[in-house]
Amino acid sequence: MNWGNPYDWTAVEWQSATWGERFMYIDPYFWSYFGVALALATSIIGASWGIFVTGVSLLGSTVKAPRIRSKNLISVIFCEAVAIYGVIMAIIMIGKVQTIESYPENQMAQCYTTALFGGYSLFWTGVSVGLSNLICGIAVGVTGSGCAIADAQTPETFVKILVVEIFGSALGLFGVIVGIIQCSGASFLKDCL
Amino acid sequence: MLFVLDTMVSAADTTQISASSFFGFMGVTMALVLANLGAGYGTFKAGAGIAAIGIWKPEIIMKSLIPVVMAGILGIYGMIVAVLLSQKVKNPLEYSYKSGFAHMASGLCCGCSCIAAGFAIGIVGDVGVRGNAQQERLFVGLILILIFAEALALYGLIVSLILSQS
Repeated sequence: MNWGNPYDWTAVEWQSATWGERFMYIDPYFWSYFGVALALATSIIGASWGIFVTGVSLLGSTVKAPRIRSKNLISVIFCEAVAIYGVIMAIIMIGKVQTIESYPENQMAQCYTTALFGGYSLFWTGVSVGLSNLICGIAVGVTGSGCAIADAQTPETFVKILVVEIFGSALGLFGVIVGIIQCSGASFLKDCL
Repeated sequence: MLFVLDTMVSAADTTQISASSFFGFMGVTMALVLANLGAGYGTFKAGAGIAAIGIWKPEIIMKSLIPVVMAGILGIYGMIVAVLLSQKVKNPLEYSYKSGFAHMASGLCCGCSCIAAGFAIGIVGDVGVRGNAQQERLFVGLILILIFAEALALYGLIVSLILSQS
């Protein structure tokens, strides 16, 4: 902040501002709320992808083997759990965002960098949680699809392929665990009022 | 135009030029447009299936309309969030960047969840109505999967409503 408050900068200052300064003055609240949206949206896209991949196989196989219908709904429930992980993380992340009412005059840099820290941590938490849940939903869905088709043919294979699905749903849990650790340090009001 | 933390000037200063309403209105539009895309996809995909089976089993057409109705509900979720947000987005003089970004995230959450749910409802509905025409016992399973898919949009709506309060 060589020239004082960047809000007062004119075109002359922006002309000679470095890329680092331009990046740094992107609002921390943008990063945090975009992270929240990414966490939720990509988790739900993963869950939905899993539901339709497994649903079509389930419904198609049930035509000729109606006994598999109720048992294989558990694959759909595993995919739904992925969406719930996304909702839980989104609500945790929203709780971390606090409004900065005012800046202490002598501590402006410290306060702003704490806010930046919070913003960046929430953004990347959103990316990690969202992408993990996306791939988890797809994995559980494709496995569940294979499970339904195999169950329709040979009932003994159901439990064995369910084990593969449980390994798949662990991916979403990894995302949530890492996400909680990643956003635990975000605190907008630590150095500000 | 960069998104400067607007509390760097004092909170009482109401003469600042800001672009906060851009993000607020982006949230309104994303909520509505993406939800409608999902609803439309669900409608046409399931509708193609209903048209296919209606030829040789017309008596189950009314029961098979359930995926289409559930897809239509997604459009209503998008409209709810869009109307709610459009009443909160104000003139940049009274509307902070934080609220703008929160409302943008709110619209994105609702819109993306509804488009995802619409895809699931459409694809599952298409296969489900075709299978239901051949095997009556399939109906309960189809309804259960459609309810799980609709719940995804509901989760998006819930987080959207929480974000719109920021």
